Amino acid sequence: MKSHVCALFFFFFSSLLLAQKKDYSILSISDSLKENANAVVRFNQTDITILSQRSMNTKNHRIVTVLNEKGFDATESFEFYDKSTSVKNIEAIIYDAFGKEIKKVRRKDFKDQSVVGGGTLFSDSRYLYLDYTPISYPFTVEFISEVQTSSTAFIPKWMPLQGFNTSVEKASLNVVFLKDLGFKKKEFQFSNFDIKKTLDTDTQLSYVASNILAQKQEDYSPSYRELFPKVMMGLEYFHLEGVDGTATNWVDFGKWYSEKILSGTTDLPEETKTKIKALVGEEKDPIKKAKIVYDFVQKKSRYVSIQVGIGGWKPMLATDVDRLGYGDCKALTNYTKALLQAVDVPSYNTVLYGDAYKTNIESEFVSMQGNHMILSIPTGDHYTWLECTSQDDPFGYQGTFTDDRDVLVIKPEGGEIVHTKIYDDKGNKQTDKGSYAIDQNGTLTGAVSIVSEGSQYSSKSRVETLQPTEKEAHYKEYWDYINNLKLGKITFNNDKENVRFTEDIQISAANYATISANKLIFAVDVFNQNSTNVKRIRNRKNPFQFQRGYIDTDEIEVSLPTGFAIEFLPSNFELKGKFGEYKTEIIKKENNKLIYKRSISVNKGKYSNKEYDEYRLFMEQVSRNDNAKIILTKN
Amino acid sequence: MKFSTFFSLVSLLFVLSKATAQEFKLGKVSIAELEQRVHPKDTAAVAAILYKKGSSKIEFNQNDGFVLVTEVETRIKIYKKEGYNWANQSVVFYIGSPSSREKVDYSDAVTFNLVNGKVEKTKLKSDGIFDENVNKYRSRKKITMPNVKEGSVLEFKYTVRTSNIGMMHDWDFQTSIPVNYSEFKTYIPEYYVFNARQKGYVFPKVATQKNNRSIVLTNKERVSTVGLRAGTVKTEYSTDKLDYIETETTYSSEHFPAMKEESFVNNIDNYLSSISHELSMVKAPNRPIEMYSADWNSVVKTIYDYDTFGPELNKTGYFEDDIKTVLNGLNTPDEKIIALLNYVKSSVKWNGYFGYDCDSGVRKAYKEKTGNIADINLMLTAMLRYAGLTANPVLTSTRSNGIALFPNRTAFNYVIAAVETPTGYVLLDASDKYSVPNVLPLRVLNWQGRLIRKDGTSEDVDLMPKKVSNDIVFLSYAIDPEGKVSGKARRQCFDHNAMIIRNNIDGLKEEEYLEKLENENNKIEISDYVRTNQKEILLPTIETYSFTGNNLCEVIGGKIYVDPMLFFSNHENPFKQEIREYPVDFGFPFLDKYSITIQIPEGFTVETLPAPVVMNMEDNLGSFKFVIAQNQNVLQLNVVHQINEAIVTTEKYDMLKEYYKGMVAKETEKIVLKRI
Repeated sequence: MKSHVCALFFFFFSSLLLAQKKDYSILSISDSLKENANAVVRFNQTDITILSQRSMNTKNHRIVTVLNEKGFDATESFEFYDKSTSVKNIEAIIYDAFGKEIKKVRRKDFKDQSVVGGGTLFSDSRYLYLDYTPISYPFTVEFISEVQTSSTAFIPKWMPLQGFNTSVEKASLNVVFLKDLGFKKKEFQFSNFDIKKTLDTDTQLSYVASNILAQKQEDYSPSYRELFPKVMMGLEYFHLEGVDGTATNWVDFGKWYSEKILSGTTDLPEETKTKIKALVGEEKDPIKKAKIVYDFVQKKSRYVSIQVGIGGWKPMLATDVDRLGYGDCKALTNYTKALLQAVDVPSYNTVLYGDAYKTNIESEFVSMQGNHMILSIPTGDHYTWLECTSQDDPFGYQGTFTDDRDVLVIKPEGGEIVHTKIYDDKGNKQTDKGSYAIDQNGTLTGAVSIVSEGSQYSSKSRVETLQPTEKEAHYKEYWDYINNLKLGKITFNNDKENVRFTEDIQISAANYATISANKLIFAVDVFNQNSTNVKRIRNRKNPFQFQRGYIDTDEIEVSLPTGFAIEFLPSNFELKGKFGEYKTEIIKKENNKLIYKRSISVNKGKYSNKEYDEYRLFMEQVSRNDNAKIILTKN
Repeated sequence: MKFSTFFSLVSLLFVLSKATAQEFKLGKVSIAELEQRVHPKDTAAVAAILYKKGSSKIEFNQNDGFVLVTEVETRIKIYKKEGYNWANQSVVFYIGSPSSREKVDYSDAVTFNLVNGKVEKTKLKSDGIFDENVNKYRSRKKITMPNVKEGSVLEFKYTVRTSNIGMMHDWDFQTSIPVNYSEFKTYIPEYYVFNARQKGYVFPKVATQKNNRSIVLTNKERVSTVGLRAGTVKTEYSTDKLDYIETETTYSSEHFPAMKEESFVNNIDNYLSSISHELSMVKAPNRPIEMYSADWNSVVKTIYDYDTFGPELNKTGYFEDDIKTVLNGLNTPDEKIIALLNYVKSSVKWNGYFGYDCDSGVRKAYKEKTGNIADINLMLTAMLRYAGLTANPVLTSTRSNGIALFPNRTAFNYVIAAVETPTGYVLLDASDKYSVPNVLPLRVLNWQGRLIRKDGTSEDVDLMPKKVSNDIVFLSYAIDPEGKVSGKARRQCFDHNAMIIRNNIDGLKEEEYLEKLENENNKIEISDYVRTNQKEILLPTIETYSFTGNNLCEVIGGKIYVDPMLFFSNHENPFKQEIREYPVDFGFPFLDKYSITIQIPEGFTVETLPAPVVMNMEDNLGSFKFVIAQNQNVLQLNVVHQINEAIVTTEKYDMLKEYYKGMVAKETEKIVLKRI
């Protein structure tokens, strides 16, 4: 599935200058802050002043020492702007390692660029950024900016540590706000960090964070957003692109969203209503009706992202989508809703974070969140979820982009936090059935049928849409351990009704078995060798996790060449542990035939840093056994 | 490199023939086109360009004089959803200076669908047209077509107007989907001379004809009547008719296939069929001829005369004092070259921008310690000259910019320095910290460059490395009865290989690097790691370390199976494609050599040894040697893999693929040890 994230939300990283004599020399940085660090944030002060429901001013004053080529991003020397947000000041000063000023960069020397790119066709948002060529490392960037906006729907999150391999000497936040705007905040992951709340009154909030050491990024680690300290902030009474809003609880917020953002957007031309009613015909079952409507939308529309003004939040009118046949996630979701309405099936716009990395809407903090929209249809005691930006997804399939996470369902009577569908480990299946033969020259010929279901469906089914050269490259990558691989006939069966994708593939490969003197040696597992390379990590710090489990089962018939005797067969093998299970078995049959059976399952779960080596050894044994060889000797 | 033979097809270009008469008109979409389910010649195509017709016309108008008007009409068929991106179109245009800014308009944009056997048209309206200001110089006009479905046919037209005659857009006859018909016409008055250049693997037909044209100029003249009442002014009108010859040239192509990406390709755009036009001369009536570029010499002259090029080479005042110190006590040219190259590298950093002409100017770049390619390498050239060496700039084109095939200012985007020595040119690039004399960064290794001398003469310089870059490994290890391996490795990398290693190591902490090395090499454990010559970049890089590995041998049925080259063996043939469209580009010739000593465990003896092998490719393209010998419980293995040419033509692809297949098979062959 394509990852279509609309710009529902913009995060404004912004700030203020406190006149103070700073020490810009690198000599004063302690060794502990330099360890594992590409950059050291020496000083980072953010001052947010909320003057009214329609006015927020953010000042940043940041001093960052960049230690090497990878450290520049930590300077965050950029600001976004658009029609409701203006950059009032932006400047930077560069210092050498000893703290001597080497360059001043004024506003006019910042680069000004449109944010359009990737999946977005058009957006009126732009940004100013510092384009600086380092002369030598280390060096220090002092960045000062001020941004004024009328949108108070998004108060930037405070995250003193913005990523891996960065350390923080001192970072502070000062927020000043009016008493009656309903300012609220929520703190996350403060433990194990030196963060002091220095002020917390009904008009002010301040924090100071000191000496946060740099952390290395480690494989399978949770996102830094779930590891590092952060403060979410919001107003109960906010403003967004000309519309005042309320966020006291999800019910009221949902009502506001329905009335102020969504209402009046779902009208349809009579002609289209008649057409969709005719298509649905006598059908009474709401889900069957919805399938007809979803199919209609998939055939009629395509995803095009256009973000202009309030259009960044408000869906395009359903009549426009009907006429133009395109729209972004909000537009297509809303259009589908309008069509369902026409055939009396209720459905709701649903706001969430669309990402293969599962991210929840923070249910304990009522505010504008998310980056994507889908549609939910109440179905008895649960919901059916529709991804309306995809022209290929099976009805109700959530793949790996919107599954298993908290989302906000917007009903006219109010908002509600709901958890989306969880794809059970045992349902994320790949089932291989096939056969292969080895001839006396070591050449392999074989055929396999691979059936993928559950969350494995989403990664496999995209193969169907590849061009012939891409398809060839895909399989040569998939079986990269088979040298001289030649692909024969490839056929697919995409059973969308049961969400099951079948690949039937014929292959051959010269020299698959290596010949040493009078022996043939080859790995018995041809079709599904585990390629997960679990790295050794010295002193792992963070926990690790698998967001989705899976199970693969293979049953392959092997034909051995005539004139050879089996000198060695790998023994049966079994592993069981908290991470999963693995089992292989070879059964001798008549006429030089073997049956090879293999199964592996990995469990979804979160594990401590201490358990990592255990996992690595588990996968290492799997890889080694997947590569177990048969030896044949010529008679 | 045989530059000339490789592109000999170019000479077949101008086969003059009348393009087949084809009638393509906007709005005339046929039922057959709408009904078509797949492309007849490429059934996998997601979309196809049914026709694309363009013209660039130099026309006269009373207000602006001669202007350049380009009109392009396109009809696209969408076969599959994956082709929906073709419904989003855009034109990038120049908005920099008022005198040469461009104006773009889309018109006649319609989506055609077949609904119940009837043609349904949906017009593009203003809500599907967007203007995006990319930056100070460029803007982009975008459209997204309405009502697009599988099977739709889309049509649109755009017009680009500018009074800068020199800005004719390039025309591509090919793209990533099939192009059924493509036609490009130019209408050029006799006052303008363009160089037209075509490139690619397939070429369009060309036809020309001369047209008689005339323009009527209305002159308005304010005349003072000289006489008694001085100061009276009257307006007189006069008309002049000017006849001129216009050359109409038509380039047309039919059924050009889709372009497909391949691995080991320098830059696929080099093989894309396209035509570009560059203004080389203006000969307006009653005015002196203005020359721009016609042949390499005039291109070079034009570039040399740019304020941002030639004059920058002549400035020396800003560095003289510093350079005297740098050169103090140095006598030989080699010493001076190295000293100046290092000096520029350490005092001015590359800001990431290409260009053969200066951006900041050498003086400012020197002061601010940062500049573009020209700032850096023209400064280096000037310093080399100042040191008494015969140094000149060499114009080049980076790999990403494509090959500079024709005399053309825009063919270049980069400049390096060359010093003439009795043994040939020494090529230098001070923008890359690991580049040394005659070892240029990979981005510069792109066929030929053009050297410019002070007197304005110029000549071609081959940029492709001739010298083989060595990678020499000594490996000595012992196997224990459980199949565990412990040993020592020493690896020396020379020239381009050294530059690659240095760039890989750059910025990596040693622990990080070792973790990577361990994980990439079958999870060996490394100790006693020593790196020599990391900073002495004229010398090869040397790495030595001890290692142990548990996964390097397989123990099967009491026998030990040894991959004799351990983690140095090539397990995969990189050439997987059955058919190769474009040449294989290795960047530089190379030689990988391994000397391996293997100690077999007590109580074991060799059951089988891989047989020695020697493979030689034709035309001395490359060779592989694998020699193994046993001396009691010690095995000695020598392996050499050598490719002598940086670029391998497609005719040799099958041979190369077979060679790699044989090499991989041999390198993965096991030594079998059995108990005595």
